[in-house]
Amino acid sequence: MPPKSILKKTAVAANAPPAAKPVNQRHLDVALHHANIIEQRKSVERLVLDTIMDLMDFPVSPDADPKRPSAADARRFREAVVPFQPADYDSLIEERNIADKCGYALCPRPKRKAPSSARKHFIDSSRGVQIVDKKVLEVWCSDDCARRALYVKVQLNEEPAWLRQGEHGDKIEIMVENAEEHHKALPLRLKKETAPPPRTNTEEDDVAAAWAARDDALADLAAERGEKPGNLSKANNELIQEEIKERVASAPPMPPSLPEQTSGSHMAIEGHVPKQDKKEHADAEEDDDQDWDKHLPG
Amino acid sequence: MADDRGQYSPGLIRMWRVFRTTREMMKDRGYALLDEDTQITLAEFADKYARDDGEADRSRLHFSCMPTEDMARKYTPLPTAKDPDPQPEIGKIWIEFNADENVGLKQLRDYMAHLVNGEYYSGIMVCIKPMTGMALRLLRGASGIAEGPKGGVEVFVEQDLLVNITKHELVPKHVLLSREEKDQLLKRYRLKETQLPRIQVTDPVAKYYGLRRGQVVKIIRRSETAGRYASYRWAI
Ligand SMILES: [Zn+2]
Repeated sequence: MPPKSILKKTAVAANAPPAAKPVNQRHLDVALHHANIIEQRKSVERLVLDTIMDLMDFPVSPDADPKRPSAADARRFREAVVPFQPADYDSLIEERNIADKCGYALCPRPKRKAPSSARKHFIDSSRGVQIVDKKVLEVWCSDDCARRALYVKVQLNEEPAWLRQGEHGDKIEIMVENAEEHHKALPLRLKKETAPPPRTNTEEDDVAAAWAARDDALADLAAERGEKPGNLSKANNELIQEEIKERVASAPPMPPSLPEQTSGSHMAIEGHVPKQDKKEHADAEEDDDQDWDKHLPG
Repeated sequence: MADDRGQYSPGLIRMWRVFRTTREMMKDRGYALLDEDTQITLAEFADKYARDDGEADRSRLHFSCMPTEDMARKYTPLPTAKDPDPQPEIGKIWIEFNADENVGLKQLRDYMAHLVNGEYYSGIMVCIKPMTGMALRLLRGASGIAEGPKGGVEVFVEQDLLVNITKHELVPKHVLLSREEKDQLLKRYRLKETQLPRIQVTDPVAKYYGLRRGQVVKIIRRSETAGRYASYRWAI
């Protein structure tokens, strides 16, 4: 007699490999599509983590000024947060705070210290005295940094980066006072727009501009389709049915009409007419009518 | 004993429990600890680790321990043609009681660097509160990260260690099988490991024993009718 299994039978059955079935190509494609999304999700999550670790020690220079960041710092920060969702940005602030830094990634100063270790504090503000949580008080070095940091947060895409279709809204702007330094390097939206430098218009420039415009257009198109260089296409052609079936009208269209007004409509209870014993009910009503008639004089 | 406790702060008593459970856990996993290591009394604990303000000084609670021979054997892979003399996948471990109110990437990375510098195989960090989401994200991917120790980092919240769950009468005994024992089991019952019932590595008991994916535990229950009853689970 072979040794008897001590394992529960059900557990074995539940985990037994399924009987060989012919593979359905479509199921395989769907599974692959979802596997790709999971892969992309993992790589985005990893990227966000690496970016946060990078931005925790930002900016590199201890004399950096959050009002007037260097062009290189500003570009790095703006590009780094593109894949962030607002919650990721909150995580960045949280991690910087734990490391005792101001929550704004372009600020090298330590976060503000509450006057005491009390949980709540009375703070004089433009709106009068307010009660503020200690945690809220210790996020930034100054109200100015809070403003600049939140200006970035509101621009972040709510949709996870691995599901985003197109990258149109994914240009993050920052508030700076040295915009002229950034203008050459990156297009910033400014309160007072400086005029573009005059250009000498040569034929060479035109040709180069035309090619650049074509490349931009192709890149935009790819972005609109949710494709990224080196990434798998999200618009998975295999999963889209090729044949388009038009719906064919089977009867000439009829104008809509009001539902028939049945004699029972006055019996409706909040718009619903109880259907039960409808026939009897109708009969009873007829009787009622007769009875009612009898009472009429003449 | 209850009378004695009046003189100690609730925080100190709490930390004493956490510390004891942690020591018991390391012993139950198979690390070399003496019985007296796990049986420290509250008075001894207060004497050794209390600060002037009466609270426990967490920075003095850290300790390290080494696997026993038996544990090292269980964690040694089977020899293969390519690797005829495999080394145990376990080693010196460092247990740290973090005193920070908020633990994030900064502390976790400092801790990992400490483990690597001290040539620890793995580490356990006991925190006051759960770590930040990003720190947990780093931890999840840490096994493949160059900056961490070989055997990874486990994290516990003090609350999880206030009582030793395995000492509860309804929790059966769990015994880790060596690679060899696992192979024998599968051969004997002509099973693939995927056919075994499972236990999640995040299950509190699995966490207590530090089970890794792919390991098999023997679970021994007492039964009034059958005496002892064993079953096996595959950690996933
Ligand atoms: Zn600041």
